[in-house]
Amino acid sequence: MTLSTMSSSLATNAWDALWFRENGSAYAGEYNSIYYFIFWASAAFFVVLMVLMVWFMLRYKRRPGVAAEVSASHNTPLEIAWSVIPAIGFAIMFFWGTWAYLPKAVVPEGAETINVTAQQWQWKFEYPNGATSLQTEWISDMEQPLFAIPAGRPVKFLLSSTDVIHSFYIPEFRIKRDCFPNRYTVCWAEAKEPTHWFDPADGLAKPYDKNDDGKFTDGEQGYYLYCAEYCGDQHSQMTHRIAVLAEPDYQAWLEKQNNTDGVPLLDLGAKLYKTGGCAACHSVQPGGVGTGPSWHGIWGTARPGYQPLNADENAGAVVDEQYIRTSIIEPQSYYAPGFQGVQMSQYAGVFTDRELRAIATYIQSLSDDPAAVEKAKQKSDAEAAAQAASDAGAAEGAADESDPEVPAEPGA
Amino acid sequence: MSDQQHNQAGFDAGPLPPAGTRPHETYVHGHHWRDRWEEADGAKLGMWLFVCTELLLFAGFFCAYAAFRLMYPDNWHEASRYYLDWKIGFINTGVLLFSSWTIVMAIRSLQLDKKFAAFIYLGITNACAICFLFLKITFEYIPKWQLGKLPGKYFNYPNYGPADPAVIDSTTLPEPAGPLVDAGHAITNGATDMVASAMNSGVMDVLPIAAKAGEEAHHVPMPHDHIFMSVYWISTATHGLHVFIGVVLITWLMFRVMGEHYGPRRYTMVENVGLYWHVVDLIWIFLFPLLYLV
Amino acid sequence: MSDHHAHYLAGKGSTGKTIMSWVWTYDHKKIGVMYLVAVLMMFFLGGLAALGVRAELFEPHYTEFVNDDGQVVADTKGYKGAGSDFVVPEGTTPEQRGVMFPNITVTTVETNPDTGERTEGTKTVTGNNIYNRAFTLHGTIMVFLFIIPAVPAALGNIFLPIMLGAKDVAFPKLNLWSWYIYLFGGMFAIFALIQGGVETGWTFYTPYSSTTEWGNVTAMVLAAFILGFSSIFTGMNFIVTVHKLRVPGMGWFDMPLFIWALYATSIIQVLATPVLGITLLMVVFERTFLIGIFDPALGGDAVLFQHFFWFYSHPAVYIMILPGFGIISEIIAVHCRKRIFGYRAIAFSSIAIAAISFLVWAHHMFTSQSPVANVVFSALTFLVAIPTAIKVFNWISTMYKSSIAWTTPMLYACFFLFCFTIGGLTGPPLATLAVDIHLHDTYFVVAHFHYVMMGGTVLAFVGGLHHWWPKFTGKVYNETWATVGGWIVFLGFNLTFFIQFFLGTQGMPRRYATYPTDIPAFEIMHKISTVGSWLLLLGFLIHLFVFLHSLLAGKKAARNPWGGLTLEWETETPPLEHNFEREPVMTHGPYDYDTARPVNADPALFPMPTDTPKAH
Repeated sequence: MTLSTMSSSLATNAWDALWFRENGSAYAGEYNSIYYFIFWASAAFFVVLMVLMVWFMLRYKRRPGVAAEVSASHNTPLEIAWSVIPAIGFAIMFFWGTWAYLPKAVVPEGAETINVTAQQWQWKFEYPNGATSLQTEWISDMEQPLFAIPAGRPVKFLLSSTDVIHSFYIPEFRIKRDCFPNRYTVCWAEAKEPTHWFDPADGLAKPYDKNDDGKFTDGEQGYYLYCAEYCGDQHSQMTHRIAVLAEPDYQAWLEKQNNTDGVPLLDLGAKLYKTGGCAACHSVQPGGVGTGPSWHGIWGTARPGYQPLNADENAGAVVDEQYIRTSIIEPQSYYAPGFQGVQMSQYAGVFTDRELRAIATYIQSLSDDPAAVEKAKQKSDAEAAAQAASDAGAAEGAADESDPEVPAEPGA
Repeated sequence: MSDQQHNQAGFDAGPLPPAGTRPHETYVHGHHWRDRWEEADGAKLGMWLFVCTELLLFAGFFCAYAAFRLMYPDNWHEASRYYLDWKIGFINTGVLLFSSWTIVMAIRSLQLDKKFAAFIYLGITNACAICFLFLKITFEYIPKWQLGKLPGKYFNYPNYGPADPAVIDSTTLPEPAGPLVDAGHAITNGATDMVASAMNSGVMDVLPIAAKAGEEAHHVPMPHDHIFMSVYWISTATHGLHVFIGVVLITWLMFRVMGEHYGPRRYTMVENVGLYWHVVDLIWIFLFPLLYLV
Repeated sequence: MSDHHAHYLAGKGSTGKTIMSWVWTYDHKKIGVMYLVAVLMMFFLGGLAALGVRAELFEPHYTEFVNDDGQVVADTKGYKGAGSDFVVPEGTTPEQRGVMFPNITVTTVETNPDTGERTEGTKTVTGNNIYNRAFTLHGTIMVFLFIIPAVPAALGNIFLPIMLGAKDVAFPKLNLWSWYIYLFGGMFAIFALIQGGVETGWTFYTPYSSTTEWGNVTAMVLAAFILGFSSIFTGMNFIVTVHKLRVPGMGWFDMPLFIWALYATSIIQVLATPVLGITLLMVVFERTFLIGIFDPALGGDAVLFQHFFWFYSHPAVYIMILPGFGIISEIIAVHCRKRIFGYRAIAFSSIAIAAISFLVWAHHMFTSQSPVANVVFSALTFLVAIPTAIKVFNWISTMYKSSIAWTTPMLYACFFLFCFTIGGLTGPPLATLAVDIHLHDTYFVVAHFHYVMMGGTVLAFVGGLHHWWPKFTGKVYNETWATVGGWIVFLGFNLTFFIQFFLGTQGMPRRYATYPTDIPAFEIMHKISTVGSWLLLLGFLIHLFVFLHSLLAGKKAARNPWGGLTLEWETETPPLEHNFEREPVMTHGPYDYDTARPVNADPALFPMPTDTPKAH
């Protein structure tokens, strides 16, 4: 962002930028009121104290030969007064804050449950229909999955972690809850208004342009989900987009994520790389950086084995479909030179067979060997063609039903 | 306060012998203290504060114990009954209680200016401490080590073997009875299959403590035994370290007593070590029932 | 035995003897001075790490896409989200930009456990890793090596016995031990932090700290464990000294308030540090023996660690701030020449804070524990705010109708009142459950504790350093430049941290190496904050030069330059080896400015109300 656009946007939004972000959830406004009460009460208190201090500094500045006046060493009524008055203020803050907080600790009846799994360093949403997000978005230096939630009804987030403690934080909803390994925690939110709409043309959730009606500050595109508990190297890149969709859009988007059968193997592999948690550690660039080895050019290379359960340990393996499958499901079976001792999370049960094949095909397509790349393409195309052939009749019938509906107009 | 006054106000030990030339009689207190009794009082206050820190240190273990006991009550109860032999703990409790009495007698002997009695009492205290450590290591630590009843991930679940061959040297442990699965897996797989395989494999033969005691072995491995053993090892090992430090201190005192550095006028150091020793004893008095009996 | 009548800084004839007189000293003043030098070095080291952290945040990371010719074809800076014009062109390579710390490649050597064969490999470490190590270095050094020992072990060591009229602390040998343990622990910590580094944050939360493969977490945790002993020994020493070595005639309520504050601090040090010790020891066991108590993967409980850790570390916050309160009480009384208003209220509130501080630890865990526990700890947290508020009222009331000298220490006392009041008043939003859920672990918390720790303790420490500088060095510092430095520190501090409250309400999480590029507020606020950090550096460098100039070329200081009534102003400047020529006699209380004339000072400079009946 250039300095000029930044300063102009700041001029229009400077005051807003000093307070809370937009009230994205049903009860965010109540929380704001409590904060503003404390803020202005404290500010008044502070001003009185500082005016007194500065006035005393000026008024009673030492003059040569003039002593301080004798005054009381203490004044019990005054001291009791200034103990009791703040105590009353604190009591108000406590009771108001607690009464606002406690009802929100209970998830409302009928909330849709989304399983949220945190891992180093990515979030994963699992929707009730078993789908997870395939849509991605660039956030600073990472391409991260985008997660949609419905507007106007409560959503329960069932949180857990696969490795260390993370914390689920969406500022606009004023919710934050830590995620622990081996333990479930829960939080919920009811988003007020949609921030995105579903474009059936390409199957993506797209942000409303809210600059004109001042919904977002210039350049902002909806809400962020942050990790708020320090969790290691790329803690700051555990930042994902939350897209609030109107109910029909949400259902359409969800259906789109669920149905990966029509996606060719290569595309699916590339998508899963970004949304399945792989991109957090593995690069796809030559000599790329990360906690794990780059996937570029590894297809067909030899790898030493490290498999205590196997009789012929140290036998090693060559990176092929079987190797990749094993490495995803049982990550400690082999190691890449230079990455000994790096503990990858287990992905057993996370991917379907076809998805595992898709990832292997994708890795194959990253090979340095043009023949292997060509093979990967053929594999993908062949599978797509076979599927298209077998589904031809059904697909034609379905095409009429899934005619794109006209998306809700922005602001409608 | 003069020596004589202090002596008579505090203790009923008769008149002090006249000051002579022995080191404890010619001792000069630190220049910043008013007199030696003030110095002794200060040292004792300092020692009491140190005792507080010791208790709070062990409070950490007790809190961990309480937290996991609340989390896994059945497992805790069973593990305590099965893996620990209350008889060794009971003997050790007696040994420590007796040593607390002997160290008090050592102080008393010094107040009465009986050097050799003090030396003997300190010697008995030391013998008790070493006996405690000997019993602990020979009858608890070594068998547990050999059976792989080690803390946390090193815990050798019957029929599941030690946790990880990369971290446990296979030469120091008996051959694992079955396929290797680490403790973490054992937990995620749940207790059921572990229990079943333990039943089938006659694993009870390898677990001698209950058998030695002539009791029936009711116990089957439970999924959090290794956490119990973690708490057991770290708390008793830290306590054992304190006992060992006590041995060093008391040995040093024995030399000092023979060198006539302590007597009716000067015995604060002995008193402070005594205080330390009582605390070590006290901590054991809590550890013993919590780990072995409850 | 050495010459009682020489001042403590005097040489011992030869260089060798002089060095030995420092290395093997039981003199609390020398130990205090050595502590002072060490903590100031630590402050600058920790400060450098903080500057690095701020530099990284000057700009968010973004990505440029470069084609084969090296031309930038797109970047994510002005990215408008999915569906916008932004398309990653085919055949382009993404490159990270906007980072202060680049990615580095490190060589790894691994030995195969079975064959003993050594394989060399390379591993690339992201710039984040260096950022994470930098903020961990900043946090651990500032907490364990600077702020906890800063006031008690340095200024407290030098002045606590003198203010009590004692010749030394109760256990001088233990005091020397405490210093060497600190030195050993400190070197251990710095080794761990520099050699490989630690990237867990100073809080060492499990299971991250118990499972991360990076760096020397075990060494760092052990170092903190060792430093705990140093802290405990100093605390024990001070408690016994206060109980047993007060000069005859000095009752509990004749003690200066600095002593009360140090006494309350020492109680916390003795009672809370062992719990941290055992917690850190368990983390060491966790890493070496895999005991699993804090590791959920092994059936343990990660929250248990947080309880243990904060049971120490919340009281530790008061270990850091209470001595600062004590310094401010001294400065205000002396430089306003006024009996402190509500002496007993200030003294008792120190003890009350020490007591309540043990009951509020779980307010650090509002997002990780049950709502019921949250309610209880929210209520207890508000309790601790009351005695703190009372102190501020008392200090400002003391200034009423006084005679205020515009000196650097008094200036710092005002800065303290300004910043600490902000720090204190931003506590209630964090104690209020509904609001804390949003503010927890954001920059609001960062700003809050920097206003308390830096705006409170550090400003009080620097003020106290100026206040007592002439006494313990025997040299005068340059008042003008010290004032200039003070104002720059004050402005830089507020520029750096005030804006962070708003970053926090905007939802910027802490410990982030980068932030989204499309929220303009984040970027501009981080830029302001970073500029402020440069001002802070400038201010502290000015102070450093003022002090160095004073040591090398300063004039000899008077025995009682401020006209103080506490006992340290009755000794020689610098004090004698055994503090006093003869045991001092208590003829007045520490703050009886209405009735007692300061010794060793010109009566014309420090008149009493009886001298000028028509004051004002």
